[in-house]
Amino acid sequence: MRPFPFENYLTEGFFDEMFGKGHPHKPLKHYQEVYNRLGRLESGEILEKRSQADSSFLEHGVTFTVYGDEEGTEKIFPFDLIPRIIPHSEWTVIDQGLRQRMLALNLFLHDIYQDAKILSDGIIPTEVIQSSSNFRKEMVGFDIPKDIFIQVCGSDLIRDDSGTYFVLEDNARCPSGASYLLENREIMKKTFPQTFQGMSVRSVEEYPELLLKTLENLSPRQSQKPVCVVLTPGVYNSAYFEHTFLARQMGIEIVEGRDLIAIDEFVYMRTTHGLVQVDVIYRRVDDDFLDPLFFNKDSMLGVPGLMNAYLRGNVALANGIGTGVADDKVTYAYVPEMIKYYLDQEPILSNVPTFLCWREKDRKYVLENLKSLVIKPANESGGYGMMVGSSSSEKERQEFKDRISSNPRDYIAQPIISLSRHPTFCEDGIEGRHVDLRPFILYGKDIEIVPGGLTRVALKKNSLIVNSSQGGGSKDTWVLKN
Amino acid sequence: MLSRVADNLYWMSRYVERAESLARLVEVRRDTRLETGFGIQSKKFWSSSLSALYAEEFFQADGRTEADEFILFAENWPNSIRNCIYFARENARMVRDQLSDEIWVELNNTYLFFQSGDAKKTFKQSPSHFSQRIIRFSLVFQGLVDATVHHDEGWRFISLGKYLERADQTSRILDTLSLIGSEPSRTDLIGALRTCSALSAYRKRFRGELSLRNVAEFLLFSQDFPRSMRFAIRRIDSYLHEISGVPSGNFSNEAERLIGSTLATVNFTDIATLMDKGLHQSIDELQTKLIEVGQRIFETYVLLPFEIESVSQKMAEQTQAQQQ
Repeated sequence: MRPFPFENYLTEGFFDEMFGKGHPHKPLKHYQEVYNRLGRLESGEILEKRSQADSSFLEHGVTFTVYGDEEGTEKIFPFDLIPRIIPHSEWTVIDQGLRQRMLALNLFLHDIYQDAKILSDGIIPTEVIQSSSNFRKEMVGFDIPKDIFIQVCGSDLIRDDSGTYFVLEDNARCPSGASYLLENREIMKKTFPQTFQGMSVRSVEEYPELLLKTLENLSPRQSQKPVCVVLTPGVYNSAYFEHTFLARQMGIEIVEGRDLIAIDEFVYMRTTHGLVQVDVIYRRVDDDFLDPLFFNKDSMLGVPGLMNAYLRGNVALANGIGTGVADDKVTYAYVPEMIKYYLDQEPILSNVPTFLCWREKDRKYVLENLKSLVIKPANESGGYGMMVGSSSSEKERQEFKDRISSNPRDYIAQPIISLSRHPTFCEDGIEGRHVDLRPFILYGKDIEIVPGGLTRVALKKNSLIVNSSQGGGSKDTWVLKN
Repeated sequence: MLSRVADNLYWMSRYVERAESLARLVEVRRDTRLETGFGIQSKKFWSSSLSALYAEEFFQADGRTEADEFILFAENWPNSIRNCIYFARENARMVRDQLSDEIWVELNNTYLFFQSGDAKKTFKQSPSHFSQRIIRFSLVFQGLVDATVHHDEGWRFISLGKYLERADQTSRILDTLSLIGSEPSRTDLIGALRTCSALSAYRKRFRGELSLRNVAEFLLFSQDFPRSMRFAIRRIDSYLHEISGVPSGNFSNEAERLIGSTLATVNFTDIATLMDKGLHQSIDELQTKLIEVGQRIFETYVLLPFEIESVSQKMAEQTQAQQQ
């Protein structure tokens, strides 16, 4: 007899985080305790705990903004109370795989903006890099602080129907979600204190501290306590909550472009008592908008003159300028080669097989097999502008066909992976929903990864898209100590 | 502190105070109408209030027939209570790191009260309940500001906002009396006092002798009633000097000089002189000076010239696209 909340639970042939490939009455060992605890819940209790959590998020304004949505642009990021659990041994591999990747991506960026050996050695075709809309030729030859381009990376991991982990993409520009990772943990500790205590879960609370150390490491003025700030596009940005959250946790100022001013190749913030020099900017503004004199001249979010101060080495930026070329989805396809080339190692975490539409052979295959592929634009994020072939209409496929044919460089395709699922509270009780995992990798003096990351869950039945802007929610992620 | 942060704190506080003051106004005017206003057309009854709030044109454009509903919920009038709460929260969002959780939650809940439609429901069921809800919120908010954040520079900007707004609102309420057109009735006078929460304080001071002259004297010149103009102006003067560190009596910027001279005016003018000059005229002059003080504070602590432009649509669009 299965406990009440799992009475009607089905794994439906997917890999289930709680049950693996097995039967839904026999949880994997590391889930046993949570399974038992859930089994003791009364139905009323579940609802109550859920609404407790929801109202706490809403009251505290833990929200994000949805664009193009007329009613109520602020929403809470739906939170699911059943934690995702990763056993120690599994995490060890992920951790090593991510470190390896972070190293390789940084070596790659340093290389292509310096000697571009990986291009001249023919490992990656030169035109792939030069045609990337995120390649910044202004950065060629620039001596970046500590040789590190990406200080904060959010790589998205998924598991297929055998439970194997894959890296789906690396977000190397301004990845968001760390604040939810921290807030989710706070809520879980309040909602299920005993379960949490009984499981020896590794802590994540040092993230803001590690982030601040990572930023301070870049400061051009090592002789004094560096002045670091978080640069936000402003209150209308969907991740604004996160920006203030992190600033507050680090105890540093959150600034908008208009709070900063560049004078004689230094950057200052305006205060009620005059100008204060800024050393490190954790910018959550894309390259294009950082400096209207250098990039998009219509940007009102940036600081005119910032780039000159940066290129002079008088102020540091995290992440560096030009990291977008590393999270271009065409470049992504070459990360395994990078790992071999720079580190002489085999990749610990695999890529999802990727078809590059600019390659004629690949394009032909893609155009003939649209229905069984996921088509993604090479330079978008947030789940915008993609098409899942299996659930697309004839009309959509025709549109994508046209787009791919006219701009092959801008599209990639991947097989549709049946993402692993996780038991999730839904309207009619607990059901399986697809999940991914976004760990946050910091690169300061050393590489640091807080155990786990943000588990995102596609709340719509059968949906494979976990992005918050597309109806996704999140879960707390528990990495076990042993 | 960051100049913009000072500005946000100041405006957050002004909008909360404004919402409270409007809620009081609506509450008292509705009450007055119940007692005396039967014969009077609603439009006529509210016209002095709307004109003191500079809201007549907006009201006409809005299409609502009831002025009280307009003051509470109008989308098109930037000072409706709904909009005040919205702007207070927008400002607070930009400086959440400066506020205690309690302050944020209180303000955010009031915002959600409007967003969810509960506000309109409450108003339909019990208008006085509604006003009480807003007034109570403002009082709790002020209490939390005093009890849960450092009394540092940021707190002084919050306090500046509160007292500048309060002085402005008190002057407008007084002005409704001068705008009635005839000698205000007993009900009007009591209404004005109640709108400033000043009725019992006034009675204590004047032992029930009710006249326009006494009411004006009280609301303008009372030394120790916290909603009088003089009280507010003295506070503004002292916060400005605490912020700059320059002793009172001297000045280091235009805001300080102007508030000093305004303080001298309310300290050394008597009610007779003022009534001779004309109540409306005198109030108007005070209001103009206070508006200028606000402007000078902004120029002294916040501005470099190109910041004056408000956030345009273009900027809002750009802020939206910056995220992965």
